[in-house]
Amino acid sequence: MVNVFNVQIFFIVFRESLEAVVVVSVLLAFLKQGLGAATQDPVVYKKLVRQVWLGSILGVVVCLIIGCAFIGAFYSLGNDIWSKSEDLWEGIFCIIATVLISLMGLAMLRINKMKEKWRIKLARALTKVPDKKKDRFKIGYLAKKYCMFILPFITCLREGLEAVVFVGGVGLNSPATAFPIPVITGLIAGIVVGTLLYFSGSTVSLQIFLIISTGILYLIAAGLFSRGVWYFEQHVYSNKSGGDAAEQGSGPGSYDISKSVWHVNCCNPEIDNGWDVFNALLGWQNSATYGSVISYNIYWLFIIVTISLMLYEEKTGHLPFLKNLTLAQLNPMYHVKGKKKNELTKEEQNALFEKVRQTNIGQDDEEESSLVRENFASASSEKPEKGSL
Amino acid sequence: MLVLHSFWWLLCALTVAAKTHTFYFNATYVNASPDGTIERRMVGINNKWPIPTIRVKKNDRVKIHFTNLLNENSSLHFHGLFQEGTNAMDGPDMVTQCPVAPGTTFLFDFEVKDQAGTYWYHSHSGAQYSDGLRGLFIVEDDVPLAVDYDEEVTLTVSDFYHDVSGVLVKNFMSRYNPTGAEPIPQNALFNETRNASWVVEPNKTYLLRIANMGIFTSQYLFIENHNFTIIEADGVYVEPREVDSLYLASAQRYSVLVHTKDTVDKNFRFVNILDQDMLDFLPEDLEVISTNWMVYNKKNPLPKPLKNDNIGTTFQDLLKRLNPVDDFYLVPLSKEKLLPDADVVINLDFTMEPLGDGVTYAAFNGISYVPPKVPTLMSVFSSGKYADNSQIYGSNTNSFVIQPNEVVDIVLNNMDPGKHPFHLHGHTFQIISRSPEGQDEENPIKFDPSNSNHTDYPEYPMIRDTVQVHPNGFFVIRFKANNPGVWFFHCHVDWHLEQGLAITLIESPFEIQKQEIIQNHYDSCNRTNIPSYGNAAANYGETKEAWLNLEGENLQVAPLPEGFTQKGYIALVLCTIIAIYGIFSIYKYGMEDVTSEDTEAMIAKLYDILRKNGDTVGNEYHDEAEEPLT
Repeated sequence: MVNVFNVQIFFIVFRESLEAVVVVSVLLAFLKQGLGAATQDPVVYKKLVRQVWLGSILGVVVCLIIGCAFIGAFYSLGNDIWSKSEDLWEGIFCIIATVLISLMGLAMLRINKMKEKWRIKLARALTKVPDKKKDRFKIGYLAKKYCMFILPFITCLREGLEAVVFVGGVGLNSPATAFPIPVITGLIAGIVVGTLLYFSGSTVSLQIFLIISTGILYLIAAGLFSRGVWYFEQHVYSNKSGGDAAEQGSGPGSYDISKSVWHVNCCNPEIDNGWDVFNALLGWQNSATYGSVISYNIYWLFIIVTISLMLYEEKTGHLPFLKNLTLAQLNPMYHVKGKKKNELTKEEQNALFEKVRQTNIGQDDEEESSLVRENFASASSEKPEKGSL
Repeated sequence: MLVLHSFWWLLCALTVAAKTHTFYFNATYVNASPDGTIERRMVGINNKWPIPTIRVKKNDRVKIHFTNLLNENSSLHFHGLFQEGTNAMDGPDMVTQCPVAPGTTFLFDFEVKDQAGTYWYHSHSGAQYSDGLRGLFIVEDDVPLAVDYDEEVTLTVSDFYHDVSGVLVKNFMSRYNPTGAEPIPQNALFNETRNASWVVEPNKTYLLRIANMGIFTSQYLFIENHNFTIIEADGVYVEPREVDSLYLASAQRYSVLVHTKDTVDKNFRFVNILDQDMLDFLPEDLEVISTNWMVYNKKNPLPKPLKNDNIGTTFQDLLKRLNPVDDFYLVPLSKEKLLPDADVVINLDFTMEPLGDGVTYAAFNGISYVPPKVPTLMSVFSSGKYADNSQIYGSNTNSFVIQPNEVVDIVLNNMDPGKHPFHLHGHTFQIISRSPEGQDEENPIKFDPSNSNHTDYPEYPMIRDTVQVHPNGFFVIRFKANNPGVWFFHCHVDWHLEQGLAITLIESPFEIQKQEIIQNHYDSCNRTNIPSYGNAAANYGETKEAWLNLEGENLQVAPLPEGFTQKGYIALVLCTIIAIYGIFSIYKYGMEDVTSEDTEAMIAKLYDILRKNGDTVGNEYHDEAEEPLT
């Protein structure tokens, strides 16, 4: 079953499409709130809404195409490099997958935070547009007029490519047939959930759904981590026993007795039907080692601790015992990208949203061109008239 | 007076006829390169390797002062010699003696009676004889052979490893060798060398005494354009049989006649071939087919060595041309009739299984031989009237007590897809039944007394001391217990002996007690701190219970755990608990979002309502997160 449905891929696509839908919904919400004076003119409003939809859908479609091409090319060319018999590669891919999933999983439980983040990001992007008008006429003009297309397009494209990279990372140890179904179902699920969010807001039932899916996701991630460690140990044993271990199937001689915590001769996820699902969901091994069991527990402990820290930080604004530190500051990228200066206080945020509302986007063509001609004329004439619109 | 004289002359004749050969053998390390590739450390005697060939006449006495100058234990076993009345000189450690410790001198003192032929002697400690401690032991008959020959030549073949036996055993008996794959030799040796030349004269009959002194692989032998006439096998004269090639399993010997051609215009290849089927895998550079030469004229060119490339088919191709005799169908010259029906039948089902330490062991009826704490022979001597109770010899030694002159059948069912040469110390035996190779690994051919094919015993069965069983097949051997002693019966592939493929026969224990163990042997035990008194667990006492008390004996490794052990259950429960707690904390984290959102909205609404109704409190409350819509 795992050969046609890779659960990790499903969750990543689900998550990314959910985020794409959130972007769309935030933009639509902005429009509804009067961005670009859209509330005054229903025609403009409709036009802008259409731009948003077009941009986002096109972004997703382009991503899918690029994703298919990338994965397809990779599988037709490079599959032999890490053939399935290399336990070492399997182990590395499992660990990569675990890391990727762990990072994005918890964010799903803070949909509202996600929404907030996008509101600020998009607001910034929108309020920057008019400035460009000064530098380059044509492009700035186009950018301003069609910003409601470009913005969702670029955002969706970027998020989608991120998804493609993640999917590639977690899916490399699966056969190519395991990609299509989870991608499609993930897309559908993400769109459905996102739409529900848009219309009914963040409800308890929706949140329960997200909690359940995140719970499953972390179960899978813990299983993956344990499996990765198990593969490393298998690799070591296989090397020492000269490859004989593989011949033995599930029986004695297929595992290192000194590292074994339990071993049953049935229920081998590599060979027996059905048990591979058990392995994908819960990390079940018929031949568990100290490494695989301990790593499973360590992973969960790590998640539990991280969650407690995040909860604490939400309540008090900083990490325990360290008054000036937040979790975000522990990420080295935070300092590299200089994100600190981008943090806004509540007042700054409100000001930003007010500014967005005041921004003129997609105005009348005639008004725009007349503005341009006026500026041009005033620039070329000897006596520039100040104070023109 | 005349009577006295003749008596005196008779005595002299007898004493001259029965000579005593005294040897002082010091086991020493010697560096050598028998296969001409690398030099490695060998175990030699008196700083020489190969070790000397011992040549005695029937009824001679042999005394060997064996001093161990190595830094490991050692021993010597005289393969095929009956050791009548001198069981203590047989040689295998922990069966008839303690191992000879470094720095100790051990005395072997025995007579070679009632037998003549080609025998050999080798170390019986671990796999030490693969390091070179093996040589020929020829017993010349007191009557001339029934056949004519011009010259006698000896030939030994063996497999050869570059690694020292200790290293080989360690890597072999390891959990990283889960299939129990035997170590693969690096080369085959022909008279302890390679590419040898045997210079012959035309029109002569040579008697070739051939022994396979290998530790693992059987070998094929043939001379191009020449036949062999087999006249002796394992010290048993047979009706002459002409064949084009020979097949010798480890420890087997043949004496053959080779008659050379009249012309000297050509030289011929003398080829020895390792039995490839016994090797678990074939390294690319292994020369399975080794070419040597029978040289009529040194001036003529030697034919090119046979090729070894494309090893798979070359070996099979060669085999098709060869027709080695099935030794089951040789007929002893003595025409000894089939012994009467057995008084004792020992059934041995041979299997290989990994045990609890991940190492594969060999077992008879589920029991893998583990050496007792006291050498079995010394248990016989010390146990007095309890000596015929097989229990005192241990529960993990596959011990069987046999009464004097009983006819014994050993039925060996080989449940392993490998070829195994089995050797019985102290006896030759009749091979009365042997099945062909079993084709189905899941259903090996087992001896069935009701099957007339299996019980169709020959009238004059072949007699020898080492016999090979076919893969997934069986053999039945029969002998008469007419030689009191503790005799080892084991596979002569030494790797399998290390894995425990052996049984101990205690034949006529009370008769054994009439023999003697010299003080030198007890001293050897004291040097190695091995007890020489008591049962297999070194327990003893006044009562039968004391002697049957095997507490503390050496036992085989416990079997692999079947499924979940306590350790496994604990681990599984722990993982489940922690996963549940993890999910719970995710739930908590998720619910935080909802509740805070809901409560905020709720509070904002409440304040709104209050404000609308003129309550001043509401004015102070700001909803900072959202701008109110117009």
